[in-house]
Amino acid sequence: MRTEQKQNAKQNTRPAPYLSALLLLAACAVSLLAGKYPLSLEKILAGDAMQLQVLLTLRIPRTLMAVLGGFALGAAGFVFQTVFRNPLAAPDMIGVSSGASAGAAFAILFLPASAAAVTLSAFAGGLLAVGIALGLASAAGGYGARRNPAAGSGSIVLAGIAVHSLAQTFLMVLKLTADPERQLASIEYWIMGSLNAITLGRIPFYCAVCVIGLTGLFLLHRQIILLSVDEAEARMLGVPVGRMRLLILLLATLVVASVISVTGVISFIGLLAPHIARLLTRDNRLRTLLLSGLLGGILLTAADILARTAAASELPVSIFTSLLGAPFLLYLIMNGNGGGRHAE
Amino acid sequence: MPNNLHRNSGYNDLTSEPSICLQVSSLSAGYGRSQILKDVSFCAKQGGITGLLGPNGCGKTTLLRALCRQLPFTGSCLLNGRPLEQMTSRQLARQISYIPQRSGIAISMPVIDVVLMGFNPVLCLLEQPSRAQKEKARGALRAVGMEASAEQDYQTLSEGQKQLCILARTIVEDASLLLLDEPESSLDFPHRHRIMELLTEIIRGQDLSCANCDVSSTAINEATHNVSANTSNPNAHRFSNTSGDTARNTLSGSSSDQQTLFPRKAALVTLHDPQLALEYCSRLVLLKDGVCTAILHPATDSLPDMEAALSEVYGPIRLRAFEENGRRSLILLPRG
Repeated sequence: MRTEQKQNAKQNTRPAPYLSALLLLAACAVSLLAGKYPLSLEKILAGDAMQLQVLLTLRIPRTLMAVLGGFALGAAGFVFQTVFRNPLAAPDMIGVSSGASAGAAFAILFLPASAAAVTLSAFAGGLLAVGIALGLASAAGGYGARRNPAAGSGSIVLAGIAVHSLAQTFLMVLKLTADPERQLASIEYWIMGSLNAITLGRIPFYCAVCVIGLTGLFLLHRQIILLSVDEAEARMLGVPVGRMRLLILLLATLVVASVISVTGVISFIGLLAPHIARLLTRDNRLRTLLLSGLLGGILLTAADILARTAAASELPVSIFTSLLGAPFLLYLIMNGNGGGRHAE
Repeated sequence: MPNNLHRNSGYNDLTSEPSICLQVSSLSAGYGRSQILKDVSFCAKQGGITGLLGPNGCGKTTLLRALCRQLPFTGSCLLNGRPLEQMTSRQLARQISYIPQRSGIAISMPVIDVVLMGFNPVLCLLEQPSRAQKEKARGALRAVGMEASAEQDYQTLSEGQKQLCILARTIVEDASLLLLDEPESSLDFPHRHRIMELLTEIIRGQDLSCANCDVSSTAINEATHNVSANTSNPNAHRFSNTSGDTARNTLSGSSSDQQTLFPRKAALVTLHDPQLALEYCSRLVLLKDGVCTAILHPATDSLPDMEAALSEVYGPIRLRAFEENGRRSLILLPRG
């Protein structure tokens, strides 16, 4: 009886990826048409030059970035949570996002303005953050050869909080040195997270980096799941734990950095999307990773639509992702099990 | 105390001499500067369970960790004649199957996926398990009686079911040496015996995962020899001492005519429960304070000898024996 119910539940969740793909397409359609300058399908089809112009130069790049950015944050969130064996280890919780944004801000201020410089600097910042967080966590006994089960995987989140405030301090120093006339406002606005500044010309580079990283993560899905097993056990299953973890963290950080260097910090999507995906599928197969990405895309696209339609002036998108994310985080803490992830 | 190491060197519990799978000679290991294992020597033979017994903190787990190369060690460890330190991690993973006290699987996943992890040592980095491998994984779950739960979430299983699932993974791994760290510690009575019986069958080379796989003719010859030795009463020796060279067929007695066997394996098991060890192990390595105090063969050693050796490790105990179906069973009692 019980297994029968389980199987029924299983069959009910099977179409989840397809449904969310449809939902994502619907969100895209709304995102293409909604905004300060409303577009209508008839006028576009009639060949209205102004409408076409807005669609091509503003809406399409923006929607594309929302979908890809959300997808990347959701998928990377799944990877970080799985590899760190912690349901709270989303990129913005363990300091990757703030590290990357500090790196990107550094590039905006001091490096020649180019997409590659910003992305690379964000990537370096994100990596540095992961490295410091891992170092702190293993010093506290959470990781590495002398992994102390009592310290648990919670230490990576504590270390992440420390790294997050470190990165914030660095950002503050950067802001102090910024030119208040020209640079300060733009950095400030960018940190708040927005898809406002996207133009067609900036898209290809970031998309390429992001897609390469995501492809790697999808190909390595089986290894990502194996890394969620205890280190000693994984090693005896033939996983080169140290190297594999490094490779996967590099790819996931690259993905996050490529998004953040365009959009600024977007909070909670990397936490929220994988959790909903896991609640829907209750396994951690490839479709759960895919679903994390799709849900991330839906969340960010929806938040972006709200950001540009809710008020007279455009709002930072993080306001809406946080409005969704903060209650959900509370729910996770009160449930204490991270959506059925942990047995203990 | 080296003169104690082989106090029963004249054992003859095995009719045909099985080859040595693991040969450990004067192994010392520890964490950092503190040395926990001192000069331990023993061997584990194919087709038998070698038990590591001793009080908590005597170095049982340290020994397993050293054999998994997670700790630096001195001395020599030969696995099928090859020094452990000369093997690559991947070779080691193919030859050794490690079963921790509790599997550290922290996320939800279907039971069948847990079993499929066992194929990782033979898969390429980006390769996915093949259809045949999935079939084999289902066969392994069938063998441990968990086929109905194949799609169930691993996290919803009881501790006993989890261990059975991990044993199914070990079956598909098909390694020549099985290392188990207190597999019985969190299990109830029936599951303890179920696990040990299954383990016995796995290492005796009964291919539990599929009945019609290709195996070499030598393996089949060996198989028929072993099965014919003891197929008359397949269930007679349930819960009984399994040392000696008889192959039991408690699990799939009806299909013994189709039985095909893999080359046999050896198991090295740390056990909390000496009673369980006396029942299922063909050889017991007693450890105390990181030193091997004795090596026992429960099937053949004399009672006073074993009583003395076990008392040295566990404090004063009494050992009683009774005969059932022509084999000796041992009961461990506190000295009252």
